[in-house]
Amino acid sequence: MAQISSTIVLLPILIPLFGAAASLLLYKRPRLQAAWSFGTIFLSAATSTGLLYQVWLRNQAVVYQLGAWPAPIGISIVGDMLSATLAFMAQFVLTSGFLYALGSRDKVVQYPGFYPLFLGLAAGLTGALLSGDLFNLFVFAELLVISGTVLTAISDDKYGTEAAYKYFYISLLASICLLIASGSLYASYGTLNMADLAQRISANPDRPLTALAMVLLMVTFMIKGAVFPFHFWQPDFHTTSATPVSAMLSSVVVKLGVYGFIRMTTLIFLPYRDTIELVLILLGAFGVLFGGLSAIGTNNVKRMLAYSTVGQVGFILVAIGWGTPAALAAAVIFTFNHSLIKSAMLMLSGFVASRAAIKSTAFNMLRGIGKQLPFAGALFLVGGLALVGIPPTNGFLNKLALFRSGIEAGEFASLSFIAVASTLTLIYVIRAFQQIWWQTPVEGVYAKPGGDHLTAPAILIALSLLIGLWGEPLVRLAQDTAIWLNTPVNYLQLVFGV
Amino acid sequence: MEILTAAAIGLMFAAGVFQLLRRNVIRSAIGLFILSNAVNLFLLSSGAYQGVIIAYTTLAGQPSDALPQALILTAIVISMGGFALVMSMLYILSVRYKTSDVDEINRLRF
Repeated sequence: MAQISSTIVLLPILIPLFGAAASLLLYKRPRLQAAWSFGTIFLSAATSTGLLYQVWLRNQAVVYQLGAWPAPIGISIVGDMLSATLAFMAQFVLTSGFLYALGSRDKVVQYPGFYPLFLGLAAGLTGALLSGDLFNLFVFAELLVISGTVLTAISDDKYGTEAAYKYFYISLLASICLLIASGSLYASYGTLNMADLAQRISANPDRPLTALAMVLLMVTFMIKGAVFPFHFWQPDFHTTSATPVSAMLSSVVVKLGVYGFIRMTTLIFLPYRDTIELVLILLGAFGVLFGGLSAIGTNNVKRMLAYSTVGQVGFILVAIGWGTPAALAAAVIFTFNHSLIKSAMLMLSGFVASRAAIKSTAFNMLRGIGKQLPFAGALFLVGGLALVGIPPTNGFLNKLALFRSGIEAGEFASLSFIAVASTLTLIYVIRAFQQIWWQTPVEGVYAKPGGDHLTAPAILIALSLLIGLWGEPLVRLAQDTAIWLNTPVNYLQLVFGV
Repeated sequence: MEILTAAAIGLMFAAGVFQLLRRNVIRSAIGLFILSNAVNLFLLSSGAYQGVIIAYTTLAGQPSDALPQALILTAIVISMGGFALVMSMLYILSVRYKTSDVDEINRLRF
């Protein structure tokens, strides 16, 4: 039966979930627990690679109907091009995060709850990306939010709890919005399955609660993705959490919002597509400007990178807003590459902080300390160039695909706006590099021996160079995803098994 | 009855939003709890117009829709966990900051 071969779509969710439960049992054996958790996430990433292979190269998108109930009645776990690509990206970056955590000197990674929570974060994120049901997405997003909150609340930074509280408060508001939206959609259309919703909304777009549901869903995904007017909790949250966690939060976790917007414009709210796209272009463009300016104004390298995420997510939203197949492909490329770069950059800043005399990511604590850390400096420079978009890094691929799709779509106003605003990236990256690696250190300041391991960021930076030099597979993957997204009927046929 | 339910839900939303906007963190957390319960009632009402016979029985007529109740059950469980977490974090905040004023919990300014 088709159900058995399609279990592969469940594995990237179930493996971290069971791994988390099992690693709780190992709480008295910290080293074994860490090794077990890394093995779990590695296996899980391997299965999500297998899922991507199945969906993309063998061209068989998979869907698993939980409990074998047919689609609109039961819950579907859907591995289509978009979900499989993003799940692969998420799990790959999460594996590097676990690798960093293994070599981290932070106190937080020694807590017995750290690895189970980290695996919970992985399961929640993957589940939300692969879920084909709005309410199921809510459940997995809550798992993600609670794990992320606790991971930040227990971080070494003594203000972590404050940031975690802010984040959790805003996230509870987001889940209330998502619940109201689900209730409105259920009252209007009698279903919460995304494919079924898409069908029924297209057939009957003018029910009284549809617009409310659309607006609230947009608010939800804006909060999840830290999009410009809803970003205020994000810099605090991403600055105070432990390095391996903040590298994940700022790279892959915010991509849940991006995923939600792609699903909204290309599937669920097709009749309202133009409205949503207009809002996305406006907010994305302002996000690029605002994120860039705020990143220049900070005195803390992690906070700078967190604001930079606001700006980079803005680029992705503008691409989704243009909405042509080329622009959607650019959005996927950008999403993928930004996750690699941003997690590597955050890990590098965490590494530098772990070598500082007083563990801090503020520039005045790190000034000139990089003179003794040349390898990290080289990695940071390459990562920074990738963030700016200078060849031969993968960032160049992002900007090339994005700007080319904008020219093809004829969106010159928004294109020129974000092109000008994107030069801000250069300013803040160079500023950070200058502060840490160029300036003369204060008398008597030395980098401590020891500190975090550089393996994980080195792998990510090497990969971003590799993609920059040989980007064809990624571009082809993104183009195939865009083609898949452009024909929503594929998704419906997949879920309903016609 | 419908008017009464609608008014009750509306009242809970109003009270929740009002409390949410207070300066006291504990009050604003209570506002969040009220709001979340109002949402649960709203979810309940979204299935209210689909028949009056109890679901999964053999009685004649249009059975009522049981799905919203399953949704609420899930939402209640999740919000219970969430509120426990909110309470524990509020406790830590009150110990560390010795205040419940939102404006004074601002040590994260860089």
